[in-house]
Formats: sequence, structure tokens, C-alpha cells
Amino acid sequence: MAKQGSGSILQFAPFQSAVDEGFWHRLSSLKLNKLGIDDSPISVTGFYAPCSHSQVSNHLTLLSESIPSESDEQLSTTNLGNRNRCSIPGTLYNTNTLESFHAIDRQSLLKQEAKKIWEDIHSGKAVEDSAVLSRFLLISFADLKKWSFHYWFAFPALVLDPPATLVDLRPASQWFSSQEAESVSAACNEWRNSSTTADVPYFLVSVASNSHATIRHLKDWEACQGDGRKLLFGFYDPCHLQNNPGWPLRNFLVLIFARWNLKSICFLCYRENRGFADLGLSLVGEASITVPQGWRDSQCVPNAVGWELNKGRKAPRCIGLAKSMDPTRLAVSAA
Amino acid sequence: MELQQKFYGIFKGTVEKITSPRTVSAFKEKGVLSVSEFILAGDNLVSKCPTWSWESGEPSKRKSYLPADKQFLITRNVPCLRRAASVEEEYEGAGGEVLVDNEDNDGWLATHGKPKDKSDEDENLPSMEALEISQKNNVQSISTYFGGEEEEEEDIPDMAEYEEPDSVIDPATLQSTYLVAHEPDDDNILRTRTYDVSITYDKYYQTPRVWLTGYDESRMLLQPELVLEDVSQDHARKTVTIEDHPHLPGKHASIHPCRHGAVMKKIIDVLVSRGVEPEVDKYLFLFLKFVASVIPTIEYDYTMDFDLGGSSN
Repeated sequence: MAKQGSGSILQFAPFQSAVDEGFWHRLSSLKLNKLGIDDSPISVTGFYAPCSHSQVSNHLTLLSESIPSESDEQLSTTNLGNRNRCSIPGTLYNTNTLESFHAIDRQSLLKQEAKKIWEDIHSGKAVEDSAVLSRFLLISFADLKKWSFHYWFAFPALVLDPPATLVDLRPASQWFSSQEAESVSAACNEWRNSSTTADVPYFLVSVASNSHATIRHLKDWEACQGDGRKLLFGFYDPCHLQNNPGWPLRNFLVLIFARWNLKSICFLCYRENRGFADLGLSLVGEASITVPQGWRDSQCVPNAVGWELNKGRKAPRCIGLAKSMDPTRLAVSAA
Repeated sequence: MELQQKFYGIFKGTVEKITSPRTVSAFKEKGVLSVSEFILAGDNLVSKCPTWSWESGEPSKRKSYLPADKQFLITRNVPCLRRAASVEEEYEGAGGEVLVDNEDNDGWLATHGKPKDKSDEDENLPSMEALEISQKNNVQSISTYFGGEEEEEEDIPDMAEYEEPDSVIDPATLQSTYLVAHEPDDDNILRTRTYDVSITYDKYYQTPRVWLTGYDESRMLLQPELVLEDVSQDHARKTVTIEDHPHLPGKHASIHPCRHGAVMKKIIDVLVSRGVEPEVDKYLFLFLKFVASVIPTIEYDYTMDFDLGGSSN
């Protein structure tokens, strides 16, 4: 099975975006009916869930509900506790022309979002509301004459320099004893089944010396110390790869290092099979972090990376929806 | 044919408006579900197979006879590693059976094997010829909305022009051209698709109805016509149609529900004949098992360790 040699650079599988058709429909009507040429940033919500199949990764998904509509006040209530929809905050910059879309200074936008994450890490907000660690960015141009949408996602990740190195990485089922694994599975399933915690993507796994595991909120870190307990930092991992954790671990490591000053970090990439904890698919790793330069200065925001590639290239995506959105086409096909 | 489908749609819509939803159970007699039975069966599916969840869909499309937060069921990002059409070709090439008939089907599913042959039963049912898929059965096709054959996409800019110079080379980013699923073979990377599978309640037929939204390997929306490559070819041109989704925007492929009641009735009869008392909250498991014969390569979850309603032995 997958056990990587120690000392190698810890590499993360990038997050991938997926946009439901309904999102573009909602954006179009918002643009036509309300925004006009107002191009100020819009708060949107993305959704993701742990990997649930050994052969495909999960994605950061945008649905029509990602854009709050005036009539849809219940968004927060209908999504609350939906285990297949952890809400992640994002910012949408929708431009008025293709030229301005391409002229966007993407590097400074990314920095701006990374700064928010950095500030949330230092203020402690990221411990209370961990979803802000996965904050994302979307730029778009909605061509409502051709019903085509140009867009580009970024999943800002604060860069550790030098990068974290991997001491150990293996399937969780091999890292835990069988008793521990059983208890961890049960505790994770309970966490995922409770509507108050199902959509909390970062958590602590505390395994007592009698092999009994409990899942705790990040803010309980201090309370989990001592007693010879094993303490792991868990997160919902959208990635399915056996040798790499997914993207949400990146900012999590930064949080753990910045907040608790840990140089050696045990993490659990939590993954599921058919909706239940799968410790054969989940990974446990140990990462080693060396103090990055200038790190203590909270004014000094680390570099950020994270613009999504389009088939391996640094390029935006485009989707044409004339078939389902163009009124004249719809009229023709209805005739 | 499209006209016929159109008229039929109007007719069905009108009937749905003037008839009240089913409230009396006819699950065992007709294989259909009342609204409350649909909710019950849906709740059971969500609790046993948690990749499924209830959703409320578009507020403007909400059905008043269903709870606002339980309008339909959906499971997203379901892998589909191979085209059903090519799987069948391989089976045929090997002289095997065309339809999926694996060990798991333990016989009882075969009883409804060829409902399409019983044309006499179709007389009072709407025509299923509505969907004429031309014979261009190009299994390898991967065109999507993005850069597909659409003529008006000519202005998609040359992306290279806008490529960023590498300002930061980040050693911690896993380099990969783009991430694809693990494939059974090396040469068919383009075959990996994912699906959002949703189940709505069809008030006219009083049965669940399955809808498919496909995405290619880079998660770009598939044209609904390409979804038909993932439908068993026995059904692709007959029982799967492309229509407006009752709760979501856009056109989606759907397994037409006109035979669902009859098929479910047969499955229930088989269970009864074996001394198994069918339970209505297990309806969707039976239903999804039968749907798997229509979309054999879409690996949605419908399994559970359950007795199909009590054991006879």
C-alpha cells in the first residue's frame, strides 16, 4: 500500500471546481434583474464533501443556491447539517466585459483573499469557523448575448517556505490498531450523522490510551492535551489519491503551526465510501514543518497559490449554455 | 415526434394540475407510491445511503404537495468509468448477454427483463418513440458544452494568450496535467465521467423518476445527448428522454416513468410469491436496483444490508 518515503516534500492534490448549470442561471437573472453594470464583489457559497468513492475526487461545487436570491431566505436553514454540502465562503467578481475579465489582476486578488485567511488564522476565527480556511475566489464574465460564461476559480493556499516535509503517510487502517480504527470509524460516523457537526470540515481526533476515540472541535485543542493521548488533526478530504492529501490540508497546516506552534503534525485525511467512514481510503500522515522566515509577523502575509488549471494550463474556462438559456433558441425548439 | 412529446407534456401537466396527489396506498396493488410513501422511502434511502440527500431545488419550481425541504433526492459526483454502450459492445463481442445480469441480481430481477416487448400493454400509454437518437453512436466522443461543435463558440479566446507567466513555482502543489480518476485501463482516460443522479416524484405516474446530469472528466457539463452513451442501449432510444427537470434549471436526461409502476408491481409480486412481505420504505432500494439495469455503469449507491422485507425461511 501507499507508504511514502520520509523526507519528501508534502504535495497536495489541487481542489477542483464544478459548477452546476443552475448557478449560471441564477447569476444571469441576478445580473439582468438586479445588478445591471454594478460589478462589486458578490459573496457566494461553495459546497463540498469528503471523497466518497475510491476512484473519483470530490469537488468544490457551486449550485444555484450558491448565490443568495431575494426570494430564497431559507438558504441557511435548508443547508444546515446537510452532510453532502459543507458550506465554504467565496467571493465572486463578475466583470462587465471580456476585456475586463482578462485584465483582472489575478495575483493581487489572490493575495487579497489569502490575507483574509491569514487574518482569520491569527484572530482565531478560523478555529471557531474552520470553513473559512477553504475560502475560494471566482472571477467570471457572463456573456448574456451569447449565453456563454467565462470563469476562473482560485483556491488560495498560503505557502509554507520551506515546504512541509512528509515523515509518514499511509492508509489510516494501517496507522491505527484495529481497535482504534473501529473506534475512530464509529466516532467519525457519529460526527457526520449529527446535523450540528456534519458540515464542520475540520476537527480533532483524540485517541485515548484505551483505544477509545472521540472527535472534538478545533477549539477544544487545549482540553485534549495530556494523558498519553494520540491527537490527530482531521479534515474532510475531497481527494481520492492514495499518496497525496487534498488541498484543504494546506491552510490547515498553516493554522496548526501558526496557532499552536507544532512542528510535527499528525493529520487524518478523512474519506468515505458510500457515505461511511473508510479508513482504508482515509490517510494518516505526519508532516514536519520548519519555521518559515518572517513567520511571526502577522503583517507579513505569506505567498499564496491556487488558481485552478484548465486541463493542465493556466487558463480560464468557458461554458456555453445557449441551448438551455437562449430564449430564441428555446422558442425554436419548442415550436 | 417532438410535437407529440410536447402535446403529451401539456396533457400531463394539465392532468397533474387538476388531480390531487395520491394519498391512499396502492404500493402492493399497482407498484405506485403516494406522496407520503415517497417521503418515507426517501427518508429511508437518505439514512441508509447517506450519499443521497433531500434538496429543495428552485424555489419557483417548488411543488406544494411535497415538503419544501424534501422536494427531491440527489446524489452528486457519482463516478461512471465506462460507457454503457461500449460495455455492451464488449459483451456482445464476447458472445455474452447484452444486459447486465450479474450475480447480484439473484434471479428475481430477470422477471421484468423485456418489458419493451409487450407492446400490447403499451396501448394506453404515451408513446415512447419521442426520442429519436440518430445512429451516430460515437462512443469515444467527448465533446461537451465547452468547445464542442457549437458554432457560436468561435470566439473562445486563445487561452495561451492569457496564460500567466509562472510567478510562483510551488513545490507543494501536486503537478498533474489534470487529475483524473483511477481508470481500469490506461488508454481510456477520457471515459471518466461523473453524474448527478436525482429522483423526483412524478405525480402523474405516481412513481419516482430518475434524472441524470453528466459531467466530463474535467467536470464540464455534458450535453444531455451524450448522457445517452451511459444508458443501456436497449433503453437509450426508447425510455430515456431529455426534458426539463421539475426542480432544477436546464434540460436533463430522464428515465421515463411510464413503465415504472408495472415493473415495480412485478418485482413486488415476485417478492410476495417468495413469501416476503414487501415494505414500502424499501421501495427506493428496489427501484434503484431496477434502474441499475438501465444505467449499468453509473455507480450510484443503493446497496444496504437488508432483507427485502423479512425472510421466508
